[in-house]
Amino acid sequence: MKPAPFQYHAANSAADAAQLLGDLGDDAKLISGGQSLAPMLAMRLVRFDHLVDISRVADLRGIDRNNGTLIVQAATPDVLVERSDVVVASVPLLTKVTPLIGHFQIRNRGTIGGSIAHADPAAEYPAVAVALGAQMECLSVRGTRMIDAADYFVGIWSTSMESDELLKAIHFPVWSGRVGFGVAEFARRHGDFAIAGAVAAVELDSGNVISRCSIAMFGVSGQPERALSAESHLLGSSVGEISPEEVGRLAIADVESPSDDANMPATYRMSVAASTVATAWTNALTEAHHG
Amino acid sequence: MTDTLAAPTANTGGARFVGQRVQRREDLRLVTGHGRYTDDVVVPGMLHAAFLRSDIARGVINSIDVSAARQLDGVVAVFTGADFNAEIREHWVDFEGPGGDASPFRVLADTDVRFAGDPIAVVIATSRYIAEDACELIEVDIEPSTPVIGADAALAADAPVVHAGRADNIAGAIPAAADPVLDEIFANAAHVITETIDQNRYLCVPMETRGIVSQWDPFNQELTVHISTQGPHGVRAYIGRALGIPENRIRVIMKDVGGGFGQKMFMIPDEVAVVLAGKRLGRPVKWIEDRRENLMSGLHARDDRMTVSFAVDDTFHILGVKCDLIEDVGSFNAAGSSSIGFVGLLFPGPYKIPRVGFSAKAVFTNTCGRCSYRGPWMMETAAREQMMDIAARRLGIDPLEFRRINVITSAELPYTTAAGLVYDAVSIDGSLEQAVSMVGYEAFRAEQAAARAQGRFIGLGLGLYVEPSGIAMGNMSSEAAIVSISVNGDVTAVMSSGSHGQSLETTVAQVVADRLGVDFERVTVVQGDTAATPFGPGTGGSRSAVILNGAASQASGDVRTKMLEIAAHVLEAATDDLELEAGNISVRGTPSKGISVTEVARIAYLRPQELPPGMSLGLESHARYTPNAPFTFSNSCHACVVEVDAVTGGVKVLRFIVSEDCGVMINPDVVEGQIAGGVVQGIGGVLYEEMAYDMSGNPMNTTFVDYLLPTATEVPIIEYGHIETRSSTNPGGFKGMGEGGAIGSPPAVINAVADASPTSSTGRSSSRCRRRTSAPPSTLLADPAE
Ligand SMILES: Cc1cc2nc3c(=O)[nH]c(=O)nc-3n(C[C@H](O)[C@H](O)[C@H](O)COP(=O)(O)OP(=O)(O)OC[C@H]3O[C@@H](n4cnc5c(N)ncnc54)[C@H](O)[C@@H]3O)c2cc1C
Repeated sequence: MKPAPFQYHAANSAADAAQLLGDLGDDAKLISGGQSLAPMLAMRLVRFDHLVDISRVADLRGIDRNNGTLIVQAATPDVLVERSDVVVASVPLLTKVTPLIGHFQIRNRGTIGGSIAHADPAAEYPAVAVALGAQMECLSVRGTRMIDAADYFVGIWSTSMESDELLKAIHFPVWSGRVGFGVAEFARRHGDFAIAGAVAAVELDSGNVISRCSIAMFGVSGQPERALSAESHLLGSSVGEISPEEVGRLAIADVESPSDDANMPATYRMSVAASTVATAWTNALTEAHHG
Repeated sequence: MTDTLAAPTANTGGARFVGQRVQRREDLRLVTGHGRYTDDVVVPGMLHAAFLRSDIARGVINSIDVSAARQLDGVVAVFTGADFNAEIREHWVDFEGPGGDASPFRVLADTDVRFAGDPIAVVIATSRYIAEDACELIEVDIEPSTPVIGADAALAADAPVVHAGRADNIAGAIPAAADPVLDEIFANAAHVITETIDQNRYLCVPMETRGIVSQWDPFNQELTVHISTQGPHGVRAYIGRALGIPENRIRVIMKDVGGGFGQKMFMIPDEVAVVLAGKRLGRPVKWIEDRRENLMSGLHARDDRMTVSFAVDDTFHILGVKCDLIEDVGSFNAAGSSSIGFVGLLFPGPYKIPRVGFSAKAVFTNTCGRCSYRGPWMMETAAREQMMDIAARRLGIDPLEFRRINVITSAELPYTTAAGLVYDAVSIDGSLEQAVSMVGYEAFRAEQAAARAQGRFIGLGLGLYVEPSGIAMGNMSSEAAIVSISVNGDVTAVMSSGSHGQSLETTVAQVVADRLGVDFERVTVVQGDTAATPFGPGTGGSRSAVILNGAASQASGDVRTKMLEIAAHVLEAATDDLELEAGNISVRGTPSKGISVTEVARIAYLRPQELPPGMSLGLESHARYTPNAPFTFSNSCHACVVEVDAVTGGVKVLRFIVSEDCGVMINPDVVEGQIAGGVVQGIGGVLYEEMAYDMSGNPMNTTFVDYLLPTATEVPIIEYGHIETRSSTNPGGFKGMGEGGAIGSPPAVINAVADASPTSSTGRSSSRCRRRTSAPPSTLLADPAE
C-alpha cells in the first residue's frame, strides 16, 4: 500500500495552484487534506504524475462573513468550521453536520473544499451546500466563475468543474429570522459515511407559517438530493399541518434513481432516508420555534 | 463481583501478588507508543519485499515474465515459485509432527493460482515503494477457470478440485456413525427440533499485521529472524527443517507482538519466501504485511455451517442431539486449523446431554486458508447456544428456563460428558445464575414488555459454555522456566513461551514473586528469544496461566527450597520453622533472627564455605512442567442486552455481562482485559465483521472501509462477575480463559437480536439466526424479504 511515484508541488497561492493545474494538465491532481485521496493513491486505485498540495496555501484557508454570505475558503480544515463562532452565528447547519464527518483525526486534516470537490454521495457538506443553495467559486487560469450547488454535483465523485479548475471557496447564504436547522443520519458505526441522511432548514413567519424551507438528502443516490416537492407542499403551510413522516414520504418520492445493491436494497435505504428526513425536519422546526 | 475467594495454600508461598490488580508492566511502553514491533527493527543494508498476488481465484499460470521488474532501478531480485519451491526439504510444524495430514503447501504459486491473494512472485528492492512499483511490471498470464466458492460448491458432485492431485475437496471428515440408541431416542422423543446455523467468515485482525526481518550471515552461517509470531521456537524448528539449517544456527526473536489471536501460530508461505530471499542474497530482508494483505491473504477463520437436531422430552430435558458440521477451510489452511474434532468433542458443553451423534466435513475452497482463531472450535458454543434459544421458543418456554433444566449443576460434579470429558472443578450453574442476577433477568422481561408497548425493541441473549483451557497435548504438553536469583538478589524468570499481548511479563512475575517471597519489582521476565529461552510451543489453547505459570512455579519452588536450606544452615534452624516473606527469611516467632534473600544469594555464589556441606553453588532452576490433565476446564456465562431500531435495523449493544470462573485469578485486571478483548471480537463478528467472496472468488472486504471493526463507540462498558473455583490440574489452582470471551459472545449477541424481535415468542424469529451476519438491513424486525 505505497503510492506509485509522483512529483510533489507545494502551491504558494490559489493562483499558483491554478497555474500549476493549467500547466500540468490531466496528469496533475490537487491534494488538500488527503483524507480521501491518499488512501486511493496508496492502494494504487488512482495515480497521478503530479500532486499539487494546497493544504498550506494561506489564501485558501479562512472563514469570512460578508453581509448575507458566509465565505469559507476551500482548504479550511473541517475542525475550524466545527469550532468557528462566525459559522455557528451565520450557517449553524455547518456546525451541526461537521461532527458527523468521520472522526476528529479526519476532521483535523480533511477540508471542506476537499469534501465538496470529492463529491461523495454520502458526504454531509455537499448536502448542506445543495440545501442552502451555496455558490461554488471556481478558479482556473481562465479566471473565476461561480457554479450553483444545484448544478455542481453531477454524480458519484463527479462535479461540473473542469479538470484544471480548483474550488476556491464556498459561498453559503445566511438565513436569518425565525430559522431552524436539523440533521439526521444513520451509519453502521460512529464516524462512518451514512447509509442515508438528511439536512433541513426552515424559516417561520410570526404566525408559524413556513415561509422558507429546504431539505436535502445524502447517501440515497449518486448525488445530494433536494426534496423539492416536499418543500413546495410545506411552503405556506402551518407548522404541524404536514406530519414529519409525511414530509419523509414526500422527500423520498422525489429520488429518481435511488442507490440499490445486494447488501442494501433501495427500499431499505429509502425507508431509512425517510426517517432521517422526518427527524431532521422535526429538529429544524423545534429550533425555529425555540431558537 | 466475586463469589468465592480462593484461600492461599502453603505450597504456593504467600499470596501477596497473585490475586491483586497489579499494574501491567507492559503498559508503560505499550500505551505510550514505545513498544518495539517488527517494523521497528531496522538493520543496516536492509532490503524490502513486496509480493505480487493473484487477483484471480482459480486458474492455470501460463507464463510469468519478471524481466521488466528486474530492470527497475532499485530492484535487487525478483523470485518466483520456480526459484523457491524445490528448496523446501520438509514441510511440517511441531504441532502436527512429521507425516501428519498436512495441507498442501508451496512457497509461491507455480503451476496454478488457488485463491485471490495467492502470492506469485516476491520482489526484493531497496524500498517498499520500489518493490511495489516493480510488482506492477511483472506480467502474469493466467487462464482463469470457475472457482470453488462456498462449501456447497466444494461438495457438488461435479466440483473441480481445489488442489490438483486430490480426489475431492475433502480436507477432513468425521463420518456419521450408526447409532441405533440415538435413533431410538429421536424416534420416541416428545419433541425434535432441527435448525441449520450459519457462521460468517471473520478474521483475527491483529493491530500489528505480520512482519519479518530475516538476516542470513554467510560468514558465520547463522540466521537471525525477527518475526511477529505466537511462538519463536516453532518458527525456528520449522525453518530448520524446511531449509536444512541446524536449529542451533538459527535465532528467532519475537519482541512486542500486536496481537496474534491464532493467525500467527505458524509461518505462512510469504514469510518463508522472505527467509529464502534473504538467504539467497546474503542480505537482510524485511517484509511488513500491509492491511490489505492481512485481510486478503493473512489467513481467515470461522466459516462454518452446522445442522443441529435436539430430541427433548415433555419435561424439557434434552435426551440427545445430532450435529452435522461443514467447515470451509479455504485453500492453504494452517496446521491444525480444522476444528471438526474439537467441535464434536465439546458440543455438549455445559449441559447434561446423554447422547451425541456428530458428523463433519472440512472442505477446501478457492478462498484464503483458515487459521485457528481464538476459540477455533467456537461453533460448538455458537450453534448450541443459538439452538438453546430456538428450541426453547419452539417448546414455548423461556430460554433461561430451558437452560436451568438442562445445566450441569455443581452438585452433580464430577460429571462425565457424553464425549467422555470429566468436569470436576467447575461452577457452570453458578456462572449462569451470577450472570442472570447481574443482568436482572426478571426485571428485564418486564422492561422488555413495556418497551414493546412503546414501539421499542430490546432483547436479551445468553451464551453459556465450558472452555477447554490449558490444552496439553502433543507439542503443547509442556512449558519450561529457568528461574534464577542473581548475586544481588534480583530474580530472572526465563520463559519458554512469550506474550503477544496477554500480559505474561506481569502475571508470571506475580507468581514467581509470591513463590520466592520477594517483591514483584525484583522479578524480571525474559521471553521471546530462542537464544535465551528453553523450547516452548508458543501461546495458543489458553495455556499460559496454567502451563507457563506451572513451569514458573515449579522452578521457583526449587529455588525457594534451596534458599530455605541455606538460610536454615546459616540461622541454625529447621527449614520448617522458617518464614519467607518480603525478601527476608526469618525464624517463625523470632523475627530478629533472620537473613535477607540477597544475603542468601551472595552466599550461594560468593561464599561457598558458608553453604551446607555438599550443596552445589548457585540459586537457579530449570523446570519443565506438564499439567496433570490434557484440559483444565473453566466456565462462563455471557449475557447481552441489545436494542434494535425498528426503522433502520441498527443494533445497539446496551449491556454486556460476563460471569467467569477461571479458578484462582492471578490478576483480575488481566482476566477482565482478556474477556473484554474476546467479547469485542464476538460483537464484531456478529454485528460488523464479515469477509465475503463474490461468486468469482473476489474478496469483498479487503480494507477497513468494507471490513468493519467495532470501535469504542459501538461497545458498552463490559460488566464482570467472578467465581473462583480452584482447578485441580495445577498447583496454583489456575485455569485459562484466553479464548472464552470470543466463544461465548457471538451467540449471546445473536440471541439478543433474535429476542428483540416481537415475533420471538412464536419461534418465528429463529429463521433470523440463519443469516450470516446480523448487520442491517438483515436485522430489520419487519423484514420485507421474509
Ligand atoms: C475513515 C474516514 C471516514 C470518513 N467519514 C466521512 C463522513 O462521514 N462524511 C464525509 O463527508 N466525509 C467522510 N470522510 C471523508 C473526508 O471528509 C475527506 O477528507 C473529504 O471528503 C476530502 O477532503 P480532503 O481535504 O481530505 O481532500 P483530499 O483527499 O485531499 O482530496 C479529495 C479529492 O478532492 C480534490 N480536491 C481537494 N480539494 C480541492 C479543491 N479545493 N478544488 C478542487 N478539487 C479538490 C482532490 O483532487 C481529490 O480528488 C471520511 C474519511 C475517512 C478516511
